[in-house]
Parts: sequence; C-alpha cells; structure tokens
Amino acid sequence: MLEQLLIFTRGGLILWACKELGNALKGSPIDTLIRSCLLEERSGAELYNYDAPGAAYTLKWTFHNDLGLVFVAVFQRILHLLYVDELLAMVKREFSEIYDPKRTLYTNFDETFRQLKKEAEARAEDLKKSKQVDASSRAGAFDLNKLQKLRAKGAKKPETVVSKVSKAEPKKKPTKKNTVWDDTPRQAKLDYTDPVGENGDNIEVVAADHGESMMDKEEVFSSDSEAEEAEEVGKDSKPETKKKGWFSSMFQSIAGKANLEKSDLEPALKALKDRLMTKNVAEEIAEKLCESVAASLEGKEVGFVHEDFFDSTAMEEALVRILTPRRSIDILRDVHAAKEQRKPYVVVFVGVNGVGKSTNLAKVAYWLQQHNISVMMAACDTFRSGAVEQLRTHARRLQIPIFEKGYEKDPAIVAKEAIQEATRNVSEVVLVDTAGRMQDNEPLMRALSKLIYLNKPDLVLFVGEALVGNDAVDQLSKFEQKLADLSASPNTRLIDGILLTKFDTIDDKVGAALSMVYISGAPVMFVGCGQSYTDLKKLNVKSIVKTLLK
Amino acid sequence: MEGTEEWKTQLEAWKNQLEKWLNQGIEYSQQIPPIQLYAAITILLFTTLLLLLIRVFKRVKSSTIVLTGLSGSGKTVIFYQLRDGSSHEGTVTSMEPNEDTFVLHSETAKRAKIKPVHLVDVPGHARLRPKLDEFLPQAAGIVFVVDAVEFLLNCRAASEYLYDILTKASVVKKKIPVLILCNKTDKVTAHSKEFIRKQMEKEIDKLRASRSAISEADIANDFTLGVAGEAFSFSHCYNKVTVAEASGLTGEISQVEQFIREYIKP
Repeated sequence: MLEQLLIFTRGGLILWACKELGNALKGSPIDTLIRSCLLEERSGAELYNYDAPGAAYTLKWTFHNDLGLVFVAVFQRILHLLYVDELLAMVKREFSEIYDPKRTLYTNFDETFRQLKKEAEARAEDLKKSKQVDASSRAGAFDLNKLQKLRAKGAKKPETVVSKVSKAEPKKKPTKKNTVWDDTPRQAKLDYTDPVGENGDNIEVVAADHGESMMDKEEVFSSDSEAEEAEEVGKDSKPETKKKGWFSSMFQSIAGKANLEKSDLEPALKALKDRLMTKNVAEEIAEKLCESVAASLEGKEVGFVHEDFFDSTAMEEALVRILTPRRSIDILRDVHAAKEQRKPYVVVFVGVNGVGKSTNLAKVAYWLQQHNISVMMAACDTFRSGAVEQLRTHARRLQIPIFEKGYEKDPAIVAKEAIQEATRNVSEVVLVDTAGRMQDNEPLMRALSKLIYLNKPDLVLFVGEALVGNDAVDQLSKFEQKLADLSASPNTRLIDGILLTKFDTIDDKVGAALSMVYISGAPVMFVGCGQSYTDLKKLNVKSIVKTLLK
Repeated sequence: MEGTEEWKTQLEAWKNQLEKWLNQGIEYSQQIPPIQLYAAITILLFTTLLLLLIRVFKRVKSSTIVLTGLSGSGKTVIFYQLRDGSSHEGTVTSMEPNEDTFVLHSETAKRAKIKPVHLVDVPGHARLRPKLDEFLPQAAGIVFVVDAVEFLLNCRAASEYLYDILTKASVVKKKIPVLILCNKTDKVTAHSKEFIRKQMEKEIDKLRASRSAISEADIANDFTLGVAGEAFSFSHCYNKVTVAEASGLTGEISQVEQFIREYIKP
C-alpha cells in the first residue's frame, strides 16, 4: 500500500498530504530524502530507500520545476507498487492546474486524488493481466493508439476541470464513488475504459476498428512509464513544428520556447558532460550530475535555450553545493574537543598503493605541529618493506615521536598500543599510517576494517591522488563497500574525509576532487600540492568550480 | 576652396543667429525681477537635494530580515507564522529560500498603512549555506533560530554557524543586529534561553581559540570576535546580539515581531 503522498514547495511548505492514507510515518523519510538525496544532486536516481528502526520505505519523487513543486510518494519496500510512477505523474498534472502560489490550502484535492489513485491502481491491475498478450500485435497497434492518446489529451483538459467542479460538492461523494468502484472487480477491461472514456468519445472508434484485443494493447502502452509516453509525445510533435515553416520556427528561436523539454536539454547536456569528462571527472559521475541538473531544469520557463545557460547557473550551483562540506572540517576544533575528554585524537590514513599516504601524513603532522599540538605517528604499515623506516625518517626530521613495532605484526594491535602510548604521553593527536592496498585485496581490506573497528578513530582519511580518473569511483566506492561489509559491528565507520594528493601535477584536470566527493559524500579536508612539508592546502571550492566549467 | 568659403559664410550666419537668440534671452531674463529668479534657483536646488536625500535614506533603511539557523530548527514554520499566522500542513526540509514581502500577520487587522517587511528564510542545510551571503548585505536584521529541545546535540554546529555569521564582513561592518531565537519552547524539555546563551558563548569562546590558530591562508572569517583575553560574551560583539524565545508551532512569536518592528519601523 501507498504509505503517504506529499506535495510540497521547494521552500519546504507542505501544500497537501493525503489524509486518508494518514499512516504516521516512522522516522522522517521525507527530510532524509531531501537531505541525503535531492540536495546531494542525486535526484536523477529512480528511487530512494529509507531505513529506520521498524520501517523500510521506498520513496519516489517527481519535480515540477516551473512551479517549484516536489511530489513524493512513500511506500513499503516489500511491496512493488507498479503504479507509483504513473500516479505521481497524474497527481503532478492535476495539481499543477489548480496550483496558485498565493494559496496554501488544497483540501479539495482530496477527491481528485482518490480518483487518480483508483485509476492508477486499476491500470496496474490490468497490466498484470495483460502481460500474457503477445508482443507482435502490440507493435502494430502502437501508433494508432498514440494518436488516440494525443487527440484525447487535447480534449481532456476542459473535461477534468468540469469534473473537478462537480467534485467540489461534498455531498455527491459517496454515490459517485460507489458507481465507479462497484464496476471494477466485475470487469477489469471495462474499468479501464473509464479513464479513456472520460477523455472523449474516441473509445468507441477504437473498439470498432480493432476489436477486443485492442484494449489490452492500449493498456500495455499506457501503463508503461509516463516518461516514455512524454517522450513519444515529444517526438510526435517535432515533425509538426517543422511543418510550420521557417517563419514560425524563426519566431520561436527569437522568442524562445515557453518551457524546457528534455529534448531541448540533451545537446547542451551532452556538451557539458563531455567538458566535465575532459576535466577528468569520472564518466559515471558526469552522467549522473547531468541527469540531476536536467531534472532540475526540465519544465522551467526560459527565454533562450543556450549552452551558457547551464554553465552559468544550474550546473555551477550544483557543483558548489556538492563541494561545500556538509559538516565542519575544522580539525583543530575537534582536536581541542578530544583534548577536553583527555583522549588523543586519532586519524587513520587509508588509500591504495603509492598515492602518498606517508608523505601527506608527515605534512599533516607538520601543520598540526605549527599550531602547537603534540603529535605522534604510528607506523602501522607492517606489510611493505621500508615503510617503517620511511616514516621514521619523517619523524626524525620533524622531531615527532613515532610508535613502531617492526614488521609482521597485526596493524590493528600496533595502532591500539600506539593510542595507549599516546594517552600516557599526553599526545594530542595520533596519526596512523596504514599499508597501501588495492580495493579488491580482501585480506588487507579485512585487516583495515579490523583496525578501524578496534580503535574507533576520530577521523578516517581517504588519501587519493588527483591524477585518478574513472578509477576514483571504483576505489572509493569499493573501499566504503568493503569497510561496511567486512566490519563486525552493525554501525560501521566509513570514510570521513578525503586528502587529495599530487594536486600540483594536474593543471586544470581537477575532476577527481568532484568524483571523490560525489561518491563518498565526504569533504576534501586537505589538498597536497608539492613535495615539501609546507605544501598542504585547503580546497578552494570556488576556484575548482571555475576550473571545471572553464 | 570654394566649398570651404561657402562653409564659412554659412557658419557666420549661424553664429549671428545664435548671438541674436542669446541677446534675446538675456534681455528677457533682465525683464524678470531678480527675486523671482532667485526663488526659481532655490526651488531647483531644493528639489534636487531632496531627491538625493530620499535616495540615500532609502538605501540605508532596507526592510529585509533574514531568518537563518540549522536545518530543522523551525525557520520555515516561523516564516509562515509571521506571514499567514499559521503553519499550514507542516513543513519539510527546505531546498530553496522562501522569500516574500508582506505586512506581518498580526498587524493586518490594523487599518493604518504599515511598512511591509521583506522576509527571507534561508535553508539551514550546510550545502545551501553559500546562499546566505546573497542576502546578508541587504539585511536590516538577522534572526538566528535555534532548536531549544535538541539544543545540546546541535550546540556545536549551531555555534559554529553563528560564529561564521558574526564574523562576516558584511555583518560586522553594517552592525546588523542579531536575534538568537530559541524555538520550540512550547515543549516541556526545551532549554531556557539563558542556558542556551551561556552554552553558545562558551562554545564560541572555544571556537575563537581554534579559528585564530588556523594559519592566515586558511582564514575565511574576516574579523575576530570579542575582547582578547576575556571569556566571550555576546555583549562584546560589534553588533547588538539579543536572545529571545518563541514557539513556531503554537504561534508564540511576539518577540520576533517585536524585534522586526524595532528595526523596520512600521
């Protein structure tokens, strides 16, 4: 069953919520959806799964960008509701007609919604039944049906308005409901004709031309996702516009189109995606981002559809939003907080081989030292030859104590002892160096997971090189995945922050920063940009965005 | 040669014509009594001065109040309480700022002409914070909403956000007054405003230490807060910082209205 259906503005005001469904939602799925999905530029995704104690919901949503409305449907995960997409599309269409920015109360939408829901449920029911219909005849009937649909669509609007007016009278409610709904169980097919019949008189023509089986095929078409339908309609209208001749098309290009459609966006989005990819953004990320931006633009009223339009506004906003850290990245503040609790602040550096973990650990140590914080290093790379010696050299040069136990020891134990040692020495920060590991190396990943689980560090820093392209996605997602899978406790620690190394070698190909932040949701806390101890910077969001869109 | 000659004679003719008009004008002005002339000049000067003054005056007195605070503290509810006197069907996390110019709902009953308020509700989600910078330069007042029920959980985040706002150049230079609004006081478990003020002062005191330690290149904040060597208190701020209580859900928002009307005279 549908748990809840909400309509709210992008500003956050709920305009309408289905009272009949009225089940109190457990947790706050809507807020979580907005915070962790829609605001993270993941709105191109199909659905969002929400987990809370005692609840497992799936959420689907659609935007009306021109009016700034969001429609969200919530339903139980275990139920695969086929009609949700369609229902959302219908609700969107109906609601946008009565929407008025000045108005905040839409109680009369209850009745319309009830009707729409039944319609959608019935269609889903029919879809199940009609699945046996052979595909061959479907293709033949397709075009004609589309025409019917198109014609019907034109006729529909005034109809629905009229019906809405009649629905506004509350006393008619029960009778109307009964007549419609007693019919359904008896004859599913007849039931389906209802919505079409409402649209116009076309239904008789259809029946006469194609006989009985037509009905099913029509259903197959219409119960396909609404998006597809919209696309078809868009395609159909294209040749028509061509026929209008050069004058009207000229006029259109001067005056601009009223609303942006997906087809208008496509060329510009493709160019944008290509540009992002030349800046070394992983392909997958570029694709998702463009989808998300498209979702936020579709249906908006604009004067000119031009490539620059995306660059300057929507995309830039999206990029700034992604790169702006979600939480504070003031490490010094956290160190002081830990100090008050008389605990050392533990930072674990993780990453694949050769990205510069040890070097940048030394840089971070130097930076902390500059701020009068006592630092200790822990050499937990007990795997690669020479790793301990390398760290020891850094420690000697910076005059920082180092905790080491040689090779062939369990790094988790070494780290634990190091933290105990730091507590004794009243060191404020412990920097834990770990062995580099490929994301697919299971024994090593298991060891890392154990290290993190055992020592509960305050910060897990993923060290990644800015040179990486498509592999960034794989590295980070696999690291997170493995850390989650292989850990013993249910609430696992994932990556808290990113240290981007070799930033001085990449010129304008800064895409790795975007890819990594998008994948993990963790902020870039440091940027390594050179060979000496002082070459550690903060990420400058504005300049990155500028470079990406250059 | 001939062309230039012709040209010269024509120029001469124009010159004569102009001189004639000028003389006529002077003669005419001499006919007018000097008092009238002076009067005209003073009127002209006076009106231009007045127009300039009005412009300057208008620029100083903006009527924008910015509602800000962490996500989930109840900004949007307060926005609609101020505008419509009701929280409608409830709210969810905002994705975009709410912005409107209106006469406060509690004042709509009055017949007199009241200056409308331009109220902006900026989302509190960290990803949307850059939006705040767009509105701060024109603000006449900032209302920083704090969730008084879940205060201890959010104390650090809220203080950090407030610290960022209090040290912004646009806020400090114009001395924009800040109201710390403890929302949700209708709940039994809500903390008192005094407690919240003290906790935030403590937290900002710590922040001051850690932020000033960050090297010059990192500094995003433009000013340091308070008096060095003394525990931080909101009274040390360049701008006026006050604390008030409200409850968005029950519509108990008189203290916000008071704050707004203090800085935007009706």
